[in-house]
Amino acid sequence: MPVPMRFLLVLVILLSGPVLSRAQSSTLTGTSRSMNPAISVNGLFRGEVSRDDPSPEVNGFRIDGVEAQFSSIVDPFWSADVLIGLHPGHGDQDTGADAGHGDGMVVDVEEAYIDGRELPAGMGLRLGKFALPFGKHAPLHMHQFLFADAPAAIYTYLGDHLLSDTGVMVTLDAPLPWYSDVQVYGVSGQAEPFDSLDNGLAFGARWMNMWDLTEDATLEVGGSFLQGPDARYPGENQDVNFFGADLTWKWISSARTGGPAALVTVETVLPDYQGGGGNPWGWYALGRYRFHRNWWVGLELGQADADFESIPEWGPGAGQGLEQQADLREYKINLTFAPSEFSFLRAGMVYYEDKLTGEDDLRLIAQANFTIGSHPAHSY
Amino acid sequence: MSSKAFYVIAFLALMLAGPAGATVKVVATLEDLGWIAGLVGGPDIEVEVLCPGHRDPHVLPAKPSLARKMKKADLLIYNGLELEVGWLPLLLEAARNPAIGPGRAGELDCSLALAPEDILDVPTGEVDRSRGDIHPLGNPHYLLDPRNGAAVGFLIAERMGQIDPEAADRYLERAEQLALDLAQLQEMCETQVASLPSPKVIVYHQQWEYLTDWLGLEIIGVIENRPGISPSPRHVEELVEAGRLAGPVTVIAATWDHVDGAGRVAEKIGAPLVVLPASSGAIEGVESYPDLFEYICSALENAEEGS
Repeated sequence: MPVPMRFLLVLVILLSGPVLSRAQSSTLTGTSRSMNPAISVNGLFRGEVSRDDPSPEVNGFRIDGVEAQFSSIVDPFWSADVLIGLHPGHGDQDTGADAGHGDGMVVDVEEAYIDGRELPAGMGLRLGKFALPFGKHAPLHMHQFLFADAPAAIYTYLGDHLLSDTGVMVTLDAPLPWYSDVQVYGVSGQAEPFDSLDNGLAFGARWMNMWDLTEDATLEVGGSFLQGPDARYPGENQDVNFFGADLTWKWISSARTGGPAALVTVETVLPDYQGGGGNPWGWYALGRYRFHRNWWVGLELGQADADFESIPEWGPGAGQGLEQQADLREYKINLTFAPSEFSFLRAGMVYYEDKLTGEDDLRLIAQANFTIGSHPAHSY
Repeated sequence: MSSKAFYVIAFLALMLAGPAGATVKVVATLEDLGWIAGLVGGPDIEVEVLCPGHRDPHVLPAKPSLARKMKKADLLIYNGLELEVGWLPLLLEAARNPAIGPGRAGELDCSLALAPEDILDVPTGEVDRSRGDIHPLGNPHYLLDPRNGAAVGFLIAERMGQIDPEAADRYLERAEQLALDLAQLQEMCETQVASLPSPKVIVYHQQWEYLTDWLGLEIIGVIENRPGISPSPRHVEELVEAGRLAGPVTVIAATWDHVDGAGRVAEKIGAPLVVLPASSGAIEGVESYPDLFEYICSALENAEEGS
């Protein structure tokens, strides 16, 4: 049985739990399901057509991702979350299959971690595989993206979605007059930008600050750092440092339910490849506005200036069609219809332009998303 | 000790340090719960409210600044019946305060003040989201009946007494006084509304059931028939037709509802539209829980007279 089919079969069995639990509450047999975790599944699909790229990897319908999430309290001391994802593979990185094809889907434990519940002084402790808090976009699951694909500045340097790795993370409140916390982590160095052949660990930190500008508006300013073995030089013991800064302004009108709302995020990523050189960097700015209860419009601009002195083996935009040095610019616009919290339809246009090669690409992308089950709310 | 180690230890000590406090620190999710807690706790407590009265408590943005209010709390008082399910779990996680975690003395679900048979609109049959964003445990807007507010007052007093036994008698006395005051208010409101020419109302969202159940009003239709989902034009058309056939009727919407949509329905029916605060703090002049009922009953009375 193909892996995706097995995955779906497991999902069906797991999702049958809550139904069975209503009928079977006895513990005489020890099979009570009253302690089952909250279970949800999210599905994200797309149809895409390109003016300039005729390849079947781009044009047509495909699954962007199917993710199952399980959340529960383990015991008085820990809570746990497990997220299993089914996504297109990244070329030969995972399966040897082509990226984007139905047959090239890979099943991955995207996150599986426990959080301490009884720690003193407001400290947080997370153990397991978790999203690394580098900036605003890199820790997102695909269904949380505001546009179909991650900004070029993110996927070029940090991977196309969900920068996650296995290790330990501590969160501390900064004793400042505004909301401020610091997350410090050490992980195995297996995430996409890192060299999985290297035994070296990766380390990172994020300092997040948020102010209430008014009751309806907030300003968030964050700084991030991440260091680990460079995937572009496998086995050569070369490190890469990533520096990031982000700023987000968010406004949600309190005047009425589903009223106007807006968000603007600006983020920059500066890699420092110790084995390479050059001055690669990237940035994006995106905005989103809710102009009607169920309707949003979005706009994004960005750049990934992959200025390397050597052509990297693991290169900018791996699996994204980029094979060499690039100065990629992107312009995106989209329209989202979200009839409820649990589904949306989205249509958008993306224009990519490489200033170095002069190549460009215009794409139209439509997406459909759904969430079933008991899905935890997304953070602010 | 090396200077580097000293700075690391000093940094950690600074991060772990927090302000000192004396009284019981209470955080209430809703303005009404905050008002009741403040009255019952009096000077023995400090209360902070997460959701201001003018915000729809279904969809409060879970701002980290709200989690900050919960970090040092001794007692978290919330409505329950999953009214706050979209944001309270996030804030609880961000607050990282085990004292107010599930099952602790510092966690109080105020819906426990109601007997199970007093919870309205518990869905029967198959419960799924084809019925909109329904509350599987029942209608959570029970504070719109002052009798429930009185019961909540006693529940809060009992829990505050467990956390702060020295002041337990004072909490109970204040809860008893609150119950007496609300009983008087209840009688006054019932008299006001009993004189209305028609008990029939159309509501925008299913949040007035406890109020109408208490006051003997009859809900003949709901504009947002599937909670959280925009009503279809066909449903609105049918509702207008039903409203026209029903005789005198009043359309009720909350301040945070789509008042324009409710107004169009009222206009087509030829019925008065009453925009009501669904919480204390929702509008100017409605600063307390008793103010809320005084305003609502007067507004209903005036609307009917106006029609």
